[in-house]
Amino acid sequence: MNNAIECNNLTHYYGSKRIVENLNFQVKEGTILGLLGKNGTGKTTVFNILNGFLRPTDGKCLIFGEDTQCLSPATKSRIGFLIEGHVQYSFMNVKQIEKFYSGFYPKWKPGSFWEIVKKLDVSKNQKISTMSWGQRSQVALGIILAQDPDLLILDDFSMGLDPGYRRLFVDHLREYAKSENKTIFTTSHIIQDMERLIDDVLIIDFNKVMVQSSVSDFLSNFKRFDFELENDDVELDNETLIVNIEKVRNKVELYTYSSERDIRNYLAERSVTPINFSQVTMNLEDAFIGLTRKY
Amino acid sequence: MLLSVFYKEWLKTRWFVILYTAMGIVAIGYIFMALKHSFNFSGTRSIWSTILFQGNQFYKIFKFIPLAGGIIVAIAQYLPEANDKRIKLTFHLPLGENKALMVMQAFGALSLLVAFFVFLGLIYFLGLIYFPVQMVWDIVLTVLPWSVSGLSAYSIVSFIILEPRWPFRFLYSIVGGLFLSFHFVHAGTACYGPALSGLFLMSLLLITAPLSSGYRFRKG
Amino acid sequence: MEKLSRYTLMFIAIFVLSIVVPQLYWTAFEVPAKTPFVQYSCVNHDFLIYRPGEKKWQDTKGNQYTRDEYEQRLPLFFFKQLYTSGTLPDSVNNQPLDMRSLSREKSFFRLKTADIDAPKNNLFPMFESRSGRAMLEWPDDFFRITWRIEFIDAATNKVLEEKSQMFSAAMFHNGFVFPAKNIWGISSPKKSVDEGYFIVDSRDQLFHLKMVKGKPFVRKIDLPAGLKFRHIDCVDFKNRTFYAYLFSEKNEIYILTQDDYKLMRWPVNGYNPEITDIKIYGDLYNYTVIMESPGEVKAVVLDKNYQYVDSYTETWPVREDTKVGKIFTSVFPAQISLTSDTSKFVSFYFNLSGGFYWLVLNFFLVILQLIWLYWKKKIFRNHVADLVIVAVCGVFGMIAVHLFPNKFYK
Repeated sequence: MNNAIECNNLTHYYGSKRIVENLNFQVKEGTILGLLGKNGTGKTTVFNILNGFLRPTDGKCLIFGEDTQCLSPATKSRIGFLIEGHVQYSFMNVKQIEKFYSGFYPKWKPGSFWEIVKKLDVSKNQKISTMSWGQRSQVALGIILAQDPDLLILDDFSMGLDPGYRRLFVDHLREYAKSENKTIFTTSHIIQDMERLIDDVLIIDFNKVMVQSSVSDFLSNFKRFDFELENDDVELDNETLIVNIEKVRNKVELYTYSSERDIRNYLAERSVTPINFSQVTMNLEDAFIGLTRKY
Repeated sequence: MLLSVFYKEWLKTRWFVILYTAMGIVAIGYIFMALKHSFNFSGTRSIWSTILFQGNQFYKIFKFIPLAGGIIVAIAQYLPEANDKRIKLTFHLPLGENKALMVMQAFGALSLLVAFFVFLGLIYFLGLIYFPVQMVWDIVLTVLPWSVSGLSAYSIVSFIILEPRWPFRFLYSIVGGLFLSFHFVHAGTACYGPALSGLFLMSLLLITAPLSSGYRFRKG
Repeated sequence: MEKLSRYTLMFIAIFVLSIVVPQLYWTAFEVPAKTPFVQYSCVNHDFLIYRPGEKKWQDTKGNQYTRDEYEQRLPLFFFKQLYTSGTLPDSVNNQPLDMRSLSREKSFFRLKTADIDAPKNNLFPMFESRSGRAMLEWPDDFFRITWRIEFIDAATNKVLEEKSQMFSAAMFHNGFVFPAKNIWGISSPKKSVDEGYFIVDSRDQLFHLKMVKGKPFVRKIDLPAGLKFRHIDCVDFKNRTFYAYLFSEKNEIYILTQDDYKLMRWPVNGYNPEITDIKIYGDLYNYTVIMESPGEVKAVVLDKNYQYVDSYTETWPVREDTKVGKIFTSVFPAQISLTSDTSKFVSFYFNLSGGFYWLVLNFFLVILQLIWLYWKKKIFRNHVADLVIVAVCGVFGMIAVHLFPNKFYK
């Protein structure tokens, strides 16, 4: 299977401020991958470089084997971009925007566009500028699906949307990707939505890929153990075993890739007797916070 | 594909272009109406002699109309693109970015040229009603640099709107403004002959100006 | 394509800077060179020079005069002032002076280079030369000469066929070959007499055309072989000695005598219509031709028979040779102006700075640019064109290169 997206030794600085350094990752064709990272870790930078709106200080990103800084029109016709905020040409109305975009894509499927848009309670002559954010996002989704792209790059598809619209996006995107073996690369600040959509996750932190695996593997390998301490002065800081630890007084949340037995053994070595020790099932958001810390 | 780009530009600018052309036609109509009024009150011969020998430019209210047109069309075309960086939508299209920008520029420039052609044509043919062809050509030669300023203004304003950095926008506005002032040097009737082709050539080259700011926009 | 865009913008910026910056510089620093006012004194038989900047009146030997002494030595020029102050002499050189003759013989003519290098009129009023009225009156039509002469009625904008055919026939029969290359005359009724127009036809023949009692008056003027005129300026002098001053393509000065159409060449050399403004003062005894060029004034005096009497030349440093000018030529490689003192046309008047001192500054600017490239860790080969632009265009190029930063490389 080929890589739809490939970033090699990606490095970018804004002036002297490092944003990403020697970041390497690949997105195989046919996968639905979500990019997660805390604010300031370079997600927007990666998206801008992928979109071709930022030239990296060093390294490069490839889409379908082409440098994103100079994608050919043929390759661009295979990519559906969603800009953050569902930005569209608001001076157009629904009919005009369909007519405009259809002129660029030979594989344009007007049915896909109108199927989404007819769910809106709007006339064909209604201007995009007079629509609500949710309605605009629906139009944007219709445009992307009608392009029939092989790769969708969605920059925060859930921004500004209420739960209904977010669910609509996720359902349509997943069905589209799965039925036609399409690739999706996306990010969203609402991780629950991401979890419904994506199969694989990529969590970055400046210069390293913290996690790149399927969501199911990540959630089965990355564990959380909650317990209480007799003595809240105890410091627990084994970096080999423990990825992250959140301690409020004597209540502890411990995040690790290690097994329960290894953790219990570690605590015993430290002469710590955990009280009410239990493994907590995490969703993707819990796991992300656990991996990257709350603050 | 290029027609689709034209379609987008037309949707943005149609009312501006139509209204602007209509206003220009009305202004020219007014100029000749006022001329006829002068003929009636001062005598045709007297007006002819002031035009021929005293530099009377009865059409001088037309002076900044082409410049205004260039600015209006540039704003109508590029402000919606600069707002929320919507031009990214065009750059995402399966079309070379420079090609897309040049098609947009071609549309704007052509719209203006059509409007200016209409204006000059009106001035020429209405002028022939009242004046011999030699005087009409002098009027056209005087008006031409003002028209060329409209084309240059269009490209300069487009370029400035797309420019992402504010300090440079300010500097470019100064340089652009100074360049446009060269089309309005205080001179007599039909005095721009030698400079006209140079200014026109520069206005054609300037059509490529937004490629520079578009590139900077794209590269961050 | 982005590179073309950048180079276009840089070119425009350099163009703008080459016009605006020198203009600002001269506005701030230029000190005017006041041209001396030279006149010939029939009392001293010498030239008298008034220097307006210093308020000095002197002769060619350096003798200083007060203003009154100066004016008394130029009685033919200042006769009105002297008459008012009661100091007008009765005679000069044993010739009696009377106000009437003095006034009749006094004439002034001026021709600037910009008057020659200017758009040409194509329509002219044909005044009635013998209307019988005290003042000339505007006609209701204007004429043009294309394949024939046509009179166009202003009120109707239509050709007056009868009048046009009558004049065309008269011109044709006198040997005029249409169309006209040039038409010269005084297109205003504010003259004492109308003498019509002097017209050069397509074969460089010279004709005199006017309207007398509604009928065409055409006279062909014999010219020596090969004589062509760059400019003819008709005059309306009270003494009615000649019709016009004529300036040939070889920069000779002629007059055309009234009625007998004698073409008389004046023994005046050094007139260059591209840079010289010319003034001709006539008085009771002499014609004084003053030719002013940048950094030079030359005066030539002729008697009333157009014979050479005397001449005087004075030079001073031109603007570029003054201290302020030398700084200019050291800093700026060139200056472009849209207007010129020597022309009415708007054009690109390009003036390369004389000398090569500006190259020194350009060289230092190139070094500065290299240092900047090194400091910013830029790849040299991507910026070669910019270095060439700085080397050639100096300060202007340096500004342009940084106004439109070079980021167009892979």
